[in-house]
Amino acid sequence: MSEQLLQDIRQGIIEGNAKLVPQKVQAALDAGLPPGKILTEGMISAMAEVGRLYEEGEYFVPEMLIAARAMKQGLAILKPHLVNANVQPVGKVIAGSVQGDLHDIGKNLVALMLEGAGFEIQDLGVDVSPQKFVDTVRAGNANIVAMSALLTTTMPRMKDTVEALKAAGLRDKVKIIIGGAPVTEAYAREIGADGYSPDASQAVGLAKSLVGSA
Amino acid sequence: MCAMTSRQRMLTALTRSGIPDRLPVTTHHVMLYFLDKYMNGISYPEFFDTFGLDAYVWTVPYKPDEARGEYFDPNQTFIHPLDHTHRIVSDCWRIETESILDIQHKTTRYRFVTPKGTLSMVLQGNEYTDWVVEYLVKDKRDIDLIAEYVTHPRCDIESVNQTATAFAERGLVRGHICYFDVYGQPGCWQDAVELVGMERLILETYDDPDWVHELLKILQARKQTFIQSLKGARYDLLELGGGAASSTVISPKIFDEFVAPYDCRLIEQAHEVGQRIVYHTCGGMMPFLERIAAMKPDAMETLTPTGMGGDMRLSEAKRRIGDQVCMIGGFDQFHYFVGCTPAETRAEVRRCFEETGSNGGYILSPSDHFFDADLDLLRAFADEAHQCKYESVGL
Repeated sequence: MSEQLLQDIRQGIIEGNAKLVPQKVQAALDAGLPPGKILTEGMISAMAEVGRLYEEGEYFVPEMLIAARAMKQGLAILKPHLVNANVQPVGKVIAGSVQGDLHDIGKNLVALMLEGAGFEIQDLGVDVSPQKFVDTVRAGNANIVAMSALLTTTMPRMKDTVEALKAAGLRDKVKIIIGGAPVTEAYAREIGADGYSPDASQAVGLAKSLVGSA
Repeated sequence: MCAMTSRQRMLTALTRSGIPDRLPVTTHHVMLYFLDKYMNGISYPEFFDTFGLDAYVWTVPYKPDEARGEYFDPNQTFIHPLDHTHRIVSDCWRIETESILDIQHKTTRYRFVTPKGTLSMVLQGNEYTDWVVEYLVKDKRDIDLIAEYVTHPRCDIESVNQTATAFAERGLVRGHICYFDVYGQPGCWQDAVELVGMERLILETYDDPDWVHELLKILQARKQTFIQSLKGARYDLLELGGGAASSTVISPKIFDEFVAPYDCRLIEQAHEVGQRIVYHTCGGMMPFLERIAAMKPDAMETLTPTGMGGDMRLSEAKRRIGDQVCMIGGFDQFHYFVGCTPAETRAEVRRCFEETGSNGGYILSPSDHFFDADLDLLRAFADEAHQCKYESVGL
């Protein structure tokens, strides 16, 4: 029965069934399944499959969005139990769209996929100034800063943020990953970022490799 | 081959009725930011003449239907020189503006005042572009006010035809299918995204598809009125679509159910009144090529290359849909209008020509807008296109 429940959670997330997943998560908890097991074998495994389907060209952004939403609904039920069981996140990510950029769908997807992979996310939203990134890094214990830009005119704010972290003496405290439509691997190298991801799915593998849990 | 006029050259490519004398070359909308910063604020025609580009003249003038109680919006103080569009309002659909103090960006609240309630949205802008910070549709039933009271703009044919006469052989007369007052996009789905928000609209296609269809029909009806008014207007090309229906953001399933049925009908109606349509998609297009072509537009753009966030593979696209539509775009302006050598810019022109030019049916253009450009690279871009002759390369 426990295996069936985990499979139901997994399949519910893959299919984006936001009503079913929290019900099954609750049922799994009621059945005595360890929260960490529900997270890794039910939810993280599901989101990995969603990522694979996206990279294979079978899933697109909408399918990822509804899967991530279903995952998030389930995670809301699971989170207090994860805390009680002292299940640690894989890492902590500060995410935001850079200053002047109001596009958020890519950033939201990255945040959801990383959360689905076991990361703790602090989402700063859109139009995030370099100083806001600096202040947030300084105040917490994040491993990764994830920046998104959808416009060629806002991309330079990524460089400004890298420079601001350097000037604040915080550059070595975090790994920086960037993404967004006009962003490239070459640009990431140019501005001194630690990594670039072309999409939300690959951002998970990148983030894991940077925190040493790939 | 005798030299063609810009108009002849572009029409030959657009209608795929033959091989142009050389590769037609133009740009998408020329940004006021660029003209002011780099070219002392010259006019659009002067820009095209300076570089020897094949030209567009953009114009989308509306005409109020006084019998319906319509009039030009007295609160619209800026008429953009790109499209000359003056919004149409009525006593039941008034648009009020309020500047909001913001230290970073120009911020404006727009209120749409109707007898049964007021809707509002907030836009911000900088020197480059504008964006929505508060969407118009908050409660789902807000769309009832739009359905009942929104004005349906009609084309000022006389004005368009005067522009066409004056522009003569200099190039093509281009416009776009109307979009929502203040901020929108020509395609039905794309227009809806600007009123609701992309993420919310995508989720509603799963949670409440009937409501999405209801909104799309409201927006489609408005565009249909506009299209019907186009009979006799001497446009060469009208834009439909927009940035919100690329494979970067939506799926084939959403395209098939929520994009194609609405825009396909608009294309059909445009053809019925003698107009040509270019379907505009910024971002990923490769998974959707045949879907877009199946709507039977006359042209497809922007063919955004991977270096600019798209996924375009020009040779493959030409093979797959080049016999069905004229292709417009494909040039990577971000990497080849700044920060490279003229030789590299020229090589990029050649790449586009060789991959997409066979049998004509291609107009070289940057894939969408550019804000900054090295004038020498623009010159190289135009000059190299002038040297792209089809017979000389066996295309």
